[in-house]
Amino acid sequence: MIAILRLAVFGFVVLTLTYVIVSIYSRSVRREKLEKAWDGDPAREGSSPAEREAYIEAGMVAYHQSLRRKLILLVYVIPTLVVGVTVYLVNYQ
Amino acid sequence: MWRYIKWTFRIVLFLIVAGFLHYTLPHHDIVRVTNTYNRLTTVGSENSWAYAAPDTGTAESTVTRDIRFIETAFPGGSVMVYRNEDTGWVWPPYFKYDSSNLQAEAGNLKSTAEAPKWVVVTHYGWRFPFLSIYPNAVSIREATGPDERIIPYVPIVVLVFLAFLVFMVRRMWLQFWERTVEPAAAEVGEAWDGVEARADAARAGAKGVFGRLGAWLGTWRKKR
Repeated sequence: MIAILRLAVFGFVVLTLTYVIVSIYSRSVRREKLEKAWDGDPAREGSSPAEREAYIEAGMVAYHQSLRRKLILLVYVIPTLVVGVTVYLVNYQ
Repeated sequence: MWRYIKWTFRIVLFLIVAGFLHYTLPHHDIVRVTNTYNRLTTVGSENSWAYAAPDTGTAESTVTRDIRFIETAFPGGSVMVYRNEDTGWVWPPYFKYDSSNLQAEAGNLKSTAEAPKWVVVTHYGWRFPFLSIYPNAVSIREATGPDERIIPYVPIVVLVFLAFLVFMVRRMWLQFWERTVEPAAAEVGEAWDGVEARADAARAGAKGVFGRLGAWLGTWRKKR
Protein backbone atom coordinates (compact mmCIF):
# COMPACT_ATOMS: atom_id res chain seq x y z
CA MET A 1 0.00 0.00 0.00
CA ILE A 2 2.86 2.34 0.88
CA ALA A 3 4.37 1.56 -2.52
CA ILE A 4 1.30 2.94 -4.33
CA LEU A 5 1.47 6.14 -2.30
CA ARG A 6 5.14 6.42 -3.08
CA LEU A 7 4.40 6.02 -6.77
CA ALA A 8 1.64 8.62 -6.55
CA VAL A 9 3.79 11.20 -4.76
CA PHE A 10 6.87 10.58 -6.86
CA GLY A 11 4.83 10.55 -10.06
CA PHE A 12 3.09 13.78 -9.12
CA VAL A 13 6.41 15.51 -8.50
CA VAL A 14 7.91 14.30 -11.79
CA LEU A 15 4.79 15.19 -13.79
CA THR A 16 4.60 18.63 -12.20
CA LEU A 17 8.19 19.25 -13.22
CA THR A 18 7.35 18.08 -16.74
CA TYR A 19 4.26 20.30 -16.78
CA VAL A 20 6.23 23.38 -15.76
CA ILE A 21 8.95 22.74 -18.34
CA VAL A 22 6.47 22.07 -21.14
CA SER A 23 4.50 25.24 -20.24
CA ILE A 24 7.64 27.35 -20.35
CA TYR A 25 8.63 25.82 -23.67
CA SER A 26 5.18 26.29 -25.19
CA ARG A 27 5.02 29.93 -24.07
CA SER A 28 8.48 30.58 -25.46
CA VAL A 29 7.57 29.05 -28.83
CA ARG A 30 4.40 31.14 -29.00
CA ARG A 31 6.25 34.36 -28.17
CA GLU A 32 8.85 33.64 -30.82
CA LYS A 33 6.11 32.97 -33.37
CA LEU A 34 4.44 36.30 -32.53
CA GLU A 35 7.73 38.16 -32.80
CA LYS A 36 8.45 36.58 -36.17
CA ALA A 37 4.93 37.30 -37.41
CA TRP A 38 5.38 40.98 -36.54
CA ASP A 39 8.92 41.27 -37.87
CA GLY A 40 8.10 39.45 -41.10
CA ASP A 41 5.06 41.57 -41.91
CA PRO A 42 5.97 44.26 -44.48
CA ALA A 43 2.87 46.31 -43.55
CA ARG A 44 4.39 46.93 -40.11
CA GLU A 45 7.67 48.27 -41.42
CA GLY A 46 8.69 51.30 -39.38
CA SER A 47 6.16 50.93 -36.56
CA SER A 48 7.33 51.69 -33.03
CA PRO A 49 8.75 49.10 -30.58
CA ALA A 50 5.84 49.89 -28.25
CA GLU A 51 3.35 48.76 -30.88
CA ARG A 52 5.31 45.56 -31.37
CA GLU A 53 5.34 44.97 -27.63
CA ALA A 54 1.58 45.54 -27.42
CA TYR A 55 0.95 43.14 -30.31
CA ILE A 56 3.04 40.42 -28.65
CA GLU A 57 1.41 40.94 -25.25
CA ALA A 58 -2.06 40.71 -26.80
CA GLY A 59 -1.01 37.48 -28.52
CA MET A 60 0.26 36.06 -25.25
CA VAL A 61 -3.01 36.92 -23.49
CA ALA A 62 -4.91 35.12 -26.25
CA TYR A 63 -2.56 32.16 -25.86
CA HIS A 64 -3.23 32.11 -22.14
CA GLN A 65 -6.93 31.55 -22.77
CA SER A 66 -6.41 29.09 -25.60
CA LEU A 67 -7.21 25.39 -25.66
CA ARG A 68 -3.62 24.63 -26.60
CA ARG A 69 -2.37 25.80 -23.23
CA LYS A 70 -4.97 23.71 -21.42
CA LEU A 71 -3.94 20.66 -23.42
CA ILE A 72 -0.65 20.67 -21.52
CA LEU A 73 -2.68 19.22 -18.64
CA LEU A 74 -2.59 15.98 -20.64
CA VAL A 75 0.89 15.61 -19.13
CA TYR A 76 -0.96 14.51 -15.98
CA VAL A 77 -3.82 12.64 -17.64
CA ILE A 78 -1.96 10.39 -20.09
CA PRO A 79 0.53 8.76 -17.68
CA THR A 80 -2.27 8.12 -15.19
CA LEU A 81 -4.33 6.43 -17.92
CA VAL A 82 -1.30 4.41 -19.07
CA VAL A 83 -0.70 3.15 -15.52
CA GLY A 84 -4.39 2.29 -15.16
CA VAL A 85 -4.50 0.41 -18.46
CA THR A 86 -1.26 -1.44 -17.61
CA VAL A 87 -2.64 -2.49 -14.23
CA TYR A 88 -5.81 -3.75 -15.90
CA LEU A 89 -4.06 -5.62 -18.72
CA VAL A 90 -1.44 -7.23 -16.49
CA ASN A 91 -3.61 -8.21 -13.57
CA TYR A 92 -7.21 -8.58 -14.76
CA GLN A 93 -6.95 -10.23 -18.17
CA MET B 1 42.89 9.33 -30.63
CA TRP B 2 40.01 11.50 -29.43
CA ARG B 3 37.88 10.13 -32.22
CA TYR B 4 38.35 6.61 -30.88
CA ILE B 5 37.56 7.66 -27.33
CA LYS B 6 34.46 9.50 -28.51
CA TRP B 7 33.22 6.56 -30.54
CA THR B 8 33.98 4.08 -27.76
CA PHE B 9 31.99 6.26 -25.38
CA ARG B 10 29.09 6.49 -27.83
CA ILE B 11 29.03 2.76 -28.50
CA VAL B 12 29.17 1.91 -24.79
CA LEU B 13 26.37 4.38 -24.08
CA PHE B 14 24.29 2.92 -26.90
CA LEU B 15 24.87 -0.62 -25.63
CA ILE B 16 23.86 0.35 -22.10
CA VAL B 17 20.65 2.01 -23.28
CA ALA B 18 19.83 -0.82 -25.70
CA GLY B 19 20.54 -3.46 -23.04
CA PHE B 20 18.42 -1.62 -20.52
CA LEU B 21 15.51 -1.44 -22.96
CA HIS B 22 15.95 -5.06 -24.00
CA TYR B 23 15.85 -6.12 -20.38
CA THR B 24 12.81 -4.01 -19.49
CA LEU B 25 10.53 -4.21 -22.53
CA PRO B 26 8.15 -7.17 -22.82
CA HIS B 27 8.96 -10.14 -25.03
CA HIS B 28 6.78 -13.04 -26.11
CA ASP B 29 7.73 -16.70 -26.16
CA ILE B 30 5.61 -19.51 -27.52
CA VAL B 31 6.23 -22.44 -25.22
CA ARG B 32 4.64 -25.43 -23.56
CA VAL B 33 4.37 -25.35 -19.76
CA THR B 34 5.91 -28.47 -18.28
CA ASN B 35 5.99 -27.70 -14.58
CA THR B 36 5.22 -25.03 -12.00
CA TYR B 37 6.58 -24.92 -8.48
CA ASN B 38 7.92 -22.80 -5.62
CA ARG B 39 11.49 -23.03 -4.59
CA LEU B 40 13.29 -21.53 -1.65
CA THR B 41 15.82 -19.33 -3.41
CA THR B 42 18.79 -17.40 -2.15
CA VAL B 43 19.16 -14.01 -3.76
CA GLY B 44 22.72 -12.79 -3.58
CA SER B 45 24.34 -9.46 -4.19
CA GLU B 46 25.37 -10.50 -7.71
CA ASN B 47 21.84 -11.08 -8.96
CA SER B 48 19.51 -9.17 -6.63
CA TRP B 49 19.04 -6.53 -9.34
CA ALA B 50 17.24 -9.15 -11.42
CA TYR B 51 14.78 -10.04 -8.65
CA ALA B 52 11.85 -8.23 -7.12
CA ALA B 53 12.59 -5.66 -4.43
CA PRO B 54 11.93 -7.04 -0.94
CA ASP B 55 8.78 -4.95 -0.37
CA THR B 56 6.75 -5.83 -3.45
CA GLY B 57 4.45 -8.44 -1.99
CA THR B 58 5.76 -11.82 -3.13
CA ALA B 59 9.28 -11.12 -1.88
CA GLU B 60 9.39 -10.77 1.88
CA SER B 61 13.06 -11.33 2.58
CA THR B 62 16.09 -9.86 0.92
CA VAL B 63 18.26 -12.97 1.08
CA THR B 64 16.23 -16.17 1.02
CA ARG B 65 12.67 -16.32 -0.17
CA ASP B 66 10.13 -18.59 -1.78
CA ILE B 67 9.95 -17.81 -5.48
CA ARG B 68 7.46 -19.26 -7.95
CA PHE B 69 8.92 -20.71 -11.13
CA ILE B 70 7.37 -21.83 -14.40
CA GLU B 71 9.26 -24.42 -16.41
CA THR B 72 8.57 -24.54 -20.13
CA ALA B 73 9.79 -26.07 -23.36
CA PHE B 74 10.04 -24.43 -26.79
CA PRO B 75 8.65 -26.17 -29.87
CA GLY B 76 12.27 -26.94 -30.84
CA GLY B 77 12.87 -28.77 -27.59
CA SER B 78 15.07 -26.27 -25.74
CA VAL B 79 13.76 -25.12 -22.39
CA MET B 80 13.13 -21.88 -20.53
CA VAL B 81 12.50 -21.25 -16.85
CA TYR B 82 10.61 -18.14 -15.80
CA ARG B 83 10.30 -16.75 -12.33
CA ASN B 84 6.95 -15.37 -11.33
CA GLU B 85 7.24 -12.44 -8.95
CA ASP B 86 5.30 -9.26 -8.35
CA THR B 87 7.01 -6.20 -9.78
CA GLY B 88 5.65 -3.70 -7.31
CA TRP B 89 4.81 -0.14 -8.20
CA VAL B 90 7.94 1.52 -9.44
CA TRP B 91 10.35 -0.44 -11.62
CA PRO B 92 9.98 -2.14 -14.01
CA PRO B 93 6.60 -0.50 -14.54
CA TYR B 94 4.44 -3.58 -15.08
CA PHE B 95 2.45 -3.05 -11.86
CA LYS B 96 2.04 -6.78 -11.54
CA TYR B 97 0.54 -8.06 -8.31
CA ASP B 98 -1.29 -11.19 -9.45
CA SER B 99 1.61 -13.66 -9.31
CA SER B 100 -0.54 -16.25 -7.51
CA ASN B 101 -3.18 -16.12 -10.26
CA LEU B 102 -0.53 -16.33 -12.95
CA GLN B 103 0.93 -19.39 -11.26
CA ALA B 104 -2.52 -21.01 -11.18
CA GLU B 105 -3.08 -20.21 -14.87
CA ALA B 106 0.31 -21.65 -15.77
CA GLY B 107 -0.45 -24.81 -13.78
CA ASN B 108 -3.77 -25.10 -15.56
CA LEU B 109 -2.06 -24.88 -18.98
CA LYS B 110 0.44 -27.67 -18.31
CA SER B 111 0.74 -30.19 -21.11
CA THR B 112 2.83 -33.13 -22.24
CA ALA B 113 5.08 -33.46 -25.28
CA GLU B 114 2.60 -35.95 -26.77
CA ALA B 115 -0.39 -33.60 -26.49
CA PRO B 116 1.19 -30.15 -26.47
CA LYS B 117 -0.82 -27.07 -25.56
CA TRP B 118 1.13 -24.05 -26.82
CA VAL B 119 0.97 -20.86 -24.80
CA VAL B 120 2.30 -17.33 -25.22
CA VAL B 121 4.30 -16.18 -22.21
CA THR B 122 4.82 -12.43 -22.01
CA HIS B 123 7.90 -11.71 -19.98
CA TYR B 124 10.73 -9.30 -19.43
CA GLY B 125 14.30 -9.95 -18.33
CA TRP B 126 17.03 -12.36 -19.28
CA ARG B 127 18.02 -15.91 -18.47
CA PHE B 128 21.59 -16.07 -17.14
CA PRO B 129 22.22 -19.53 -15.72
CA PHE B 130 25.62 -18.47 -14.46
CA LEU B 131 24.14 -15.77 -12.20
CA SER B 132 20.87 -17.66 -11.51
CA ILE B 133 18.86 -14.95 -13.23
CA TYR B 134 15.43 -15.71 -14.68
CA PRO B 135 13.08 -13.63 -16.80
CA ASN B 136 9.90 -12.63 -15.00
CA ALA B 137 6.69 -13.91 -16.57
CA VAL B 138 4.05 -11.20 -16.75
CA SER B 139 1.12 -12.94 -18.38
CA ILE B 140 0.22 -16.18 -20.09
CA ARG B 141 -2.41 -17.11 -22.64
CA GLU B 142 -3.11 -19.96 -25.03
CA ALA B 143 -1.50 -19.61 -28.46
CA THR B 144 -3.25 -20.49 -31.71
CA GLY B 145 -0.32 -22.75 -32.56
CA PRO B 146 3.42 -23.22 -32.24
CA ASP B 147 4.07 -20.68 -35.00
CA GLU B 148 1.62 -17.94 -34.14
CA ARG B 149 2.77 -14.55 -35.40
CA ILE B 150 2.91 -11.96 -32.59
CA ILE B 151 3.24 -8.25 -33.28
CA PRO B 152 5.03 -6.59 -30.33
CA TYR B 153 2.78 -3.54 -30.01
CA VAL B 154 3.98 -2.48 -26.57
CA PRO B 155 7.70 -2.22 -27.47
CA ILE B 156 6.79 -0.40 -30.71
CA VAL B 157 4.68 2.17 -28.88
CA VAL B 158 7.24 2.60 -26.10
CA LEU B 159 10.15 3.04 -28.52
CA VAL B 160 8.23 5.53 -30.67
CA PHE B 161 7.29 7.44 -27.54
CA LEU B 162 10.91 7.45 -26.31
CA ALA B 163 12.09 8.74 -29.71
CA PHE B 164 9.44 11.48 -29.49
CA LEU B 165 10.64 12.30 -25.98
CA VAL B 166 14.27 12.61 -27.10
CA PHE B 167 13.19 14.79 -30.03
CA MET B 168 11.14 17.07 -27.76
CA VAL B 169 13.86 17.36 -25.12
CA ARG B 170 16.28 18.38 -27.87
CA ARG B 171 13.88 20.97 -29.23
CA MET B 172 13.21 22.34 -25.77
CA TRP B 173 16.92 22.56 -25.07
CA LEU B 174 17.58 24.37 -28.37
CA GLN B 175 14.70 26.76 -27.68
CA PHE B 176 16.04 27.46 -24.19
CA TRP B 177 19.51 28.03 -25.62
CA GLU B 178 18.32 30.33 -28.38
CA ARG B 179 15.87 32.38 -26.30
CA THR B 180 17.51 32.50 -22.88
CA VAL B 181 21.19 31.63 -22.91
CA GLU B 182 22.24 33.43 -26.09
CA PRO B 183 20.60 36.79 -25.24
CA ALA B 184 22.10 36.59 -21.74
CA ALA B 185 25.52 35.76 -23.20
CA ALA B 186 25.22 38.71 -25.62
CA GLU B 187 24.42 40.98 -22.68
CA VAL B 188 27.40 39.70 -20.71
CA GLY B 189 29.54 40.22 -23.80
CA GLU B 190 28.43 43.85 -24.04
CA ALA B 191 29.10 44.40 -20.35
CA TRP B 192 32.51 42.80 -20.80
CA ASP B 193 33.30 45.12 -23.72
CA GLY B 194 32.49 48.03 -21.40
CA VAL B 195 34.86 46.68 -18.75
CA GLU B 196 37.64 46.32 -21.31
CA ALA B 197 37.13 49.86 -22.59
CA ARG B 198 37.33 51.17 -19.05
CA ALA B 199 40.45 49.10 -18.36
CA ASP B 200 42.06 50.50 -21.52
CA ALA B 201 41.24 54.04 -20.40
CA ALA B 202 42.68 53.39 -16.96
CA ARG B 203 45.83 51.88 -18.47
CA ALA B 204 46.28 54.90 -20.71
CA GLY B 205 46.09 57.18 -17.63
CA ALA B 206 48.53 55.09 -15.61
CA LYS B 207 51.85 56.40 -16.92
CA GLY B 208 54.71 56.91 -14.47
CA VAL B 209 54.72 56.34 -10.71
CA PHE B 210 52.29 59.10 -9.81
CA GLY B 211 50.18 58.42 -12.81
CA ARG B 212 49.92 54.79 -11.68
CA LEU B 213 49.13 55.83 -8.10
CA GLY B 214 46.50 58.25 -9.33
CA ALA B 215 45.03 55.59 -11.57
CA TRP B 216 44.88 53.17 -8.65
CA LEU B 217 43.14 55.78 -6.50
CA GLY B 218 40.86 56.37 -9.46
CA THR B 219 39.67 52.78 -9.32
CA TRP B 220 38.18 53.51 -5.88
CA ARG B 221 36.20 56.44 -7.18
CA LYS B 222 32.62 56.07 -8.20
CA LYS B 223 32.21 55.10 -11.84
CA ARG B 224 30.69 57.80 -13.97
